[in-house]
Amino acid sequence: MRRLAAAVRKEFRQFLRDWLLVGLVIFIYTADLVICTSALSFDVRNLKLALYDGDRTELSARLVERFSTTEYFDALIPVARIADVDRLLDGNQADLALVIPAGFAQEVAAGRSTAVQVLLAGTNANTANAARGYAATIVGGFARDMLANHAARHGIANALPSVRAEMRIWYNPQLEFAHFMAVSMIVVAALMVGVITAAAGLVREKESGTIEQLVVTPLRSHELILAKAAPPFTVGMLSLAPSVVIAKAFGVPLAGDLALFIVASAIALAAFLAIGFFIGTLADNLQQALLLAFFVLFPLMFLSGTIAPIESAPALIQWLSTLSPVRYYMQIALGILLKGVGLDVLWPQFAALAVTGFALGTWSVVRLRRQLYA
Amino acid sequence: MLTALLRKETIEIVRDPVTLAVAVVLPVIMLFLFGYGVSMDVEDVPIAVYDQDRTQESVRLVEAFVQSGYFKRHRNVQSPREVGAVLDKADATVVIVIPPTFARRLAAGSDAPVQVLIDGAFSPTALIVSNYVTAIVNRFSTRLAEERLALSGLTARGLVRLESRVWYNAPMKTVNYIVPGLFAVLLMAFPPMLTALAIVRERERGTIEQIYVSPVSPSMFILGKIIPYAVIAFCEMLLVLIVGTTWFEIPLRGSLGLLLGASLLYVFVTVGLGVAVSAVARTQVAAVLLSLVGTLMPSFLFSGFLFPIATMPYLLQLYTYVFPTRYFNDISRDLFLKGIGIEYLWGNIALLALYAAALFIAASLTLRKKVAR
Repeated sequence: MRRLAAAVRKEFRQFLRDWLLVGLVIFIYTADLVICTSALSFDVRNLKLALYDGDRTELSARLVERFSTTEYFDALIPVARIADVDRLLDGNQADLALVIPAGFAQEVAAGRSTAVQVLLAGTNANTANAARGYAATIVGGFARDMLANHAARHGIANALPSVRAEMRIWYNPQLEFAHFMAVSMIVVAALMVGVITAAAGLVREKESGTIEQLVVTPLRSHELILAKAAPPFTVGMLSLAPSVVIAKAFGVPLAGDLALFIVASAIALAAFLAIGFFIGTLADNLQQALLLAFFVLFPLMFLSGTIAPIESAPALIQWLSTLSPVRYYMQIALGILLKGVGLDVLWPQFAALAVTGFALGTWSVVRLRRQLYA
Repeated sequence: MLTALLRKETIEIVRDPVTLAVAVVLPVIMLFLFGYGVSMDVEDVPIAVYDQDRTQESVRLVEAFVQSGYFKRHRNVQSPREVGAVLDKADATVVIVIPPTFARRLAAGSDAPVQVLIDGAFSPTALIVSNYVTAIVNRFSTRLAEERLALSGLTARGLVRLESRVWYNAPMKTVNYIVPGLFAVLLMAFPPMLTALAIVRERERGTIEQIYVSPVSPSMFILGKIIPYAVIAFCEMLLVLIVGTTWFEIPLRGSLGLLLGASLLYVFVTVGLGVAVSAVARTQVAAVLLSLVGTLMPSFLFSGFLFPIATMPYLLQLYTYVFPTRYFNDISRDLFLKGIGIEYLWGNIALLALYAAALFIAASLTLRKKVAR
């Protein structure tokens, strides 16, 4: 125990002396969180709508008005010729175009079926999909009113049946992407800090040759790893406090049990440190370690539901992601901070996080022991 | 003299085949990971149904959801308690609650509400899903009204219909827009770092002093470094382009010549950034970190590759112009998806060219200063 305490003291002194690294850790948990959460979003706002009204009647103007009174469309650009629609879409000046054909009002008055067209620039699939949904909702509501008018004109006054969807969005009623992003950035921060500090800490010892000196001391390999893990683990866990406060400032409800989140974060950070140590055993110098670290970091980040939901990925990727502790930590973080659910719902994720973390930790200790003490 | 420098550099590169292999093969692996991994396509969204009505009408409503192709029926729910649990466990993204009076209210010709609960944790999907829900319920409702009118002898089918056509990316697949953007991002992953390392290595080993005392001029030295790494980077680009377009079946609608020309320009910019990093970084570790933080990360986040620039705060929108990935990302997407020509693209191409020239001039100037000292 005294042995371990001495080693831990040495590691802390060494870690805190590198103020650049400590600063970087705090930066990732705080400033980075603020910048990315406020800048990066998949929100679909300020859509630019080109408008070709070939009908120019009172009715077509009413349909146009439905589009202009919603908040989704930032600018309505009326065009005189249909060819101008192409030009606007090609030049990124419009995201979508509404085309009302000539004779629109006449056809509707006669009770014949008519179509209005919406042309969408599909370059960004997500934006196009949302824009199409807005258009469908507006035109659908308009169609419904036209039908009622039509019936009234023919003297059918009795009410028509209608179905109304009362929609409730759970967990994030305003559909603010910042809520998701803030949680995701906390998870990513733990991942980056854990992997990079652990890998760099181990390799620096290797590179400067001081690891041999550690090997000949009575320090055991798991004690060495524990001592190496202690400073980044402590700094990472302490940085969690400001990052949770920042998330709260961005409107994340922090609905669940924060103590449970801290437990999950501790397990996750330990697992990420284990990944870093594993990389450290593979690399001989710092450059190799850093290169390896980021080849591991990026796939882990992108394939664990921190950017896009893993449910939309193909089956093979989904299967691969079950091996990633990041995926489970992300689910737990969303569950506790956003949804407010507890251990009764999240226990499978907790179990999986613990198992993947423990497996990685053991594996890297075994590897390190074989490498150093063989 | 340049040929001698090039020969020296080539020998050094060939001597380290591992790095060379990493530089060429890893981008392809990353291409696959991101091409498949980053998908926001909304299809087969799992729905849970709590049908308290159990009538022909309520069954038809649920059918309308399934037949739209966007939703798949995941399970039925029997109690209000289960409704919450299904969303909490993320078993289903949408729960439809049909109240017991549904069919009765419809028969009376009145308003029949149904409750739709949507998991909003990942808001982009939730937004699209809520739009689908509204559209489906609207259509169902209009259909019912039409049927009722038909009973009274008035036919009016589909008075105002919406025909939507998606240009450039008709199936609205994320992959069609991710992969052309990846060409821009992947090229930022390796060429800047490798070039920076090649120069910093000389400085760390002290061999750069020998260059200073030799008759080689600074711009010659820079060219001698840039050309071999640009060749590697261009091969990397070609490989990624070929694999990306054939495997993911991304059609190239624009001109191939224009794409290759712009790629060549971009390759020089990426290598030039490596030179710029080497001017600042003293050690190889610093060079790796700086190229990670200064080129790769912003390329991912602030180039419009994943996150649209239009929704960023204004200051950060300006910030995106600092990174050349933004320009090539636009060019690549416009060429692949839109197939538009130089008349639309010249602005971005000119900015890329300007960037390349500025990098080269700055690099030779800093080196000259060092020689003079």
